[in-house]
Amino acid sequence: MNPSTWTLRQQVERGIAAVALVIVIIWPAAGWSSYWSHTILLETFIFGMAAASLVFLSAYGGMVSLAQTALFGMAGIIFGNLATKGGPGGTSKGLHLGWDPTVALIGAIVLTTMLGLIGGAVAARSAGIYFLMITLTYSVIAVYTLGQVTKISGFSGIGGINNYTPGWIGDVLAHPNRLYYVALGVTLFAYVVIRYIVRTPFGIALQGVRDEPIRAASLGFNVPLHRTLAFGFGAFLAALAGVLYAWFAGQVSPGDVDLPQTINLLIMAVIGGLVRIEGAWVGAFVFFLMQNYITSSTHVPLIGFGGTIFGGSFNTLIGIIFLAIVVVSPDGLMGLWGRLFNTRRRPKGGERTAAPATEPAN
Amino acid sequence: MKLNLRNWKTAAVLVVISAAVAMFATGAFASSHAKVVKVAIMTDCKGAFAFGYDVDIGGAQTAFAQFAHGVTKSHAKPSAGMTGIHVGTTPIKIVGYGCGNDTVPLAVTETKRLMEKLNADVMIGPLSGDEAVYVANYAKAHPTKVFINGTAGSQDPTMQIAPKNQFRYHGDGAQWNAGIGELAYKKLGWRKAAIIMDDYSFGWTSAAGMIADFCAVGGQITKRVFPPLNTTDYAPFIRQLPPPNQVDGYFWVVGGTGTAAALKAYEQAYGKLDPKKNIGNLFFGFLGADKVVAPKVVGAYVGGFGNNPGVHYPKVDAYRAYAKKMYPAQNVDDGFFYNYYMAAKALTIGLAKSGGAVGAKLDAALPRSIDGPFQISNGGQVTLDSRRQAIQDQYQLQLVKQPNGSIAPVVVAYVPAVDQSFGGLFKPTSPPPGRTQPPCKKVKTPWQGKIKVVTNGKVTNQILK
Repeated sequence: MNPSTWTLRQQVERGIAAVALVIVIIWPAAGWSSYWSHTILLETFIFGMAAASLVFLSAYGGMVSLAQTALFGMAGIIFGNLATKGGPGGTSKGLHLGWDPTVALIGAIVLTTMLGLIGGAVAARSAGIYFLMITLTYSVIAVYTLGQVTKISGFSGIGGINNYTPGWIGDVLAHPNRLYYVALGVTLFAYVVIRYIVRTPFGIALQGVRDEPIRAASLGFNVPLHRTLAFGFGAFLAALAGVLYAWFAGQVSPGDVDLPQTINLLIMAVIGGLVRIEGAWVGAFVFFLMQNYITSSTHVPLIGFGGTIFGGSFNTLIGIIFLAIVVVSPDGLMGLWGRLFNTRRRPKGGERTAAPATEPAN
Repeated sequence: MKLNLRNWKTAAVLVVISAAVAMFATGAFASSHAKVVKVAIMTDCKGAFAFGYDVDIGGAQTAFAQFAHGVTKSHAKPSAGMTGIHVGTTPIKIVGYGCGNDTVPLAVTETKRLMEKLNADVMIGPLSGDEAVYVANYAKAHPTKVFINGTAGSQDPTMQIAPKNQFRYHGDGAQWNAGIGELAYKKLGWRKAAIIMDDYSFGWTSAAGMIADFCAVGGQITKRVFPPLNTTDYAPFIRQLPPPNQVDGYFWVVGGTGTAAALKAYEQAYGKLDPKKNIGNLFFGFLGADKVVAPKVVGAYVGGFGNNPGVHYPKVDAYRAYAKKMYPAQNVDDGFFYNYYMAAKALTIGLAKSGGAVGAKLDAALPRSIDGPFQISNGGQVTLDSRRQAIQDQYQLQLVKQPNGSIAPVVVAYVPAVDQSFGGLFKPTSPPPGRTQPPCKKVKTPWQGKIKVVTNGKVTNQILK
């Protein structure tokens, strides 16, 4: 790693990343807004990770999955069932198996990853709109399973999960910074693992499968297996985020995996850009920033209309931004950023490929 | 690398985005240290109960106006805001209105926004059952904040979860139905009945009240059917109900848009609805039921909502007159309005006693006994039990055609001092209401045999027989 050999773009990006990392590391210690650290940034880490699983599948596997939210929620529900205890003062729903939280954590991640592998094996032979529909089906199955099987969830879901954390996290309310740093650490871990995976022979082959599945198959690569394993890895990432979310929110319910939530995760990924992993966290940050401030920000010039922005309608604003992103920069904010450094002019009437341009895997 | 005009345009867009982010971030650092009690009103502005937004806010703000000098910004639209609220020398500021959609995920977001970003000391709310389960768990985890339930009716928040800093000055969904089973047993002669209930916490709690009350006097529930919330085609669930010749009647606990759809599916399967064979919970008579649902079942008995529309005595008439003056467009007999009113009233009393202190001091100062306009027994005082849950009079109703042709619920029975336990059937150690909870058991409820007949808006001394 020799900075003198970096391009200007690499220098700027890595500089920004370093500054951002320093800021998020010192944020709680510096005593800055705890609402930001314990809500906006924490949600950014968690949902960014879930969105990163979607971006990973899209950017490196060519699979836009709508099942990531379902896997995210399933991890939380599985953890809730395994870890919580019933009885007076306890949470009121679920199996209440009362496992040690660390064991339950491992169990939730393993089971969710297995669900991902099974779901991936079924969906791996389809592509495009059919893959999208199959993964949407997984999402719907998750909603109805959780809503209907009242033994494990029911419409209300499982509450009080925040009381069941491993000792090394402790009480997330008494020591909220611990969950913050754990989420930050897991986020960095997820990012590094994704970057590593895409550079391994498996990752390179996955990108080959993405670009030319027929050619890859004729060269002897097992295309469905690569896709299945990628889907399983995506489920692993979503599971990490799902358990963190369960601790953060304290309650997981079918509402966490329903269609609006599925679309929200897709919106985060699209805002950030489906081409670069970093975009997942950028998209999540922008999403939560708007969600938290749009309903209460007043007197904003031009769009305040004398009150809150668009009357406090978050959905209106996020819809407009989503449309703008799709029209102006289909590669999201990361694509917009990339264009700042792109000196080549796109040919008029330019050919934009249907598949997103991707980062080189080197 | 060469930067050209195109790059500068892109850069300009990024600068604008960065500036917007910075602007929001700056706001995040701002904080206020004025000695103001910050109150958040959590309700729904989306989903099935979106219509409750201004109703709930109107109820709470009516109490702030009546007991804490609040001045509304608009008599037509409560959510326009209220200023000048103070108790003694303690100013109260409404820092925000929560905008839920009766699901947990948005309750999580909105609760955190109100209590952590806007830093409210007290929450009045939420509106619906599942939200209340989340808020109760949240309250348990945030002991320095105070939570006064708005109008949510799930049992769990004050029975199984019951955090010390959470208060509910109205009945839960089961309490609201106290007496309806006895009414079916004695007035309609039901012995065997089936029940169809929404498959979520409020549906289960509301159904639990009907089942418990009916079984307590000797009735039997032969079948329980659970359509999921937001079902559109109820035919498969109606077919699960025993046909009319096998039961004496049906209890309906299907809400929102589902009520009319479920009744229609029944009509298609078994013909016209017989009002003597069908009893609904509050969804037959309130929350927009008057237009589509009530006309289908004129004459049917309806479970209560802790209020007594059409009953007159000085205290309740004074409440109605004041509330109507505040917000003329609101139905002040609606449980949504009234329950939020009671919550805010309790808060003003608590703050007066605590001298403006919040947290544990406010927990201790909040009234354990409070005068309620709809309350008759116990000297007109709604009292709280040891889990800070109201023991409250209930009123069972019948749908009656009015002289103007509309259909409205009219009080027919008065059930004094209903507590949450139903004679010990519900306990903190018992499972919360669910598909099979409670079991059908003959028990002695405190109000059994004490239900009084209400005729022409007057509570009589005649006992229901």
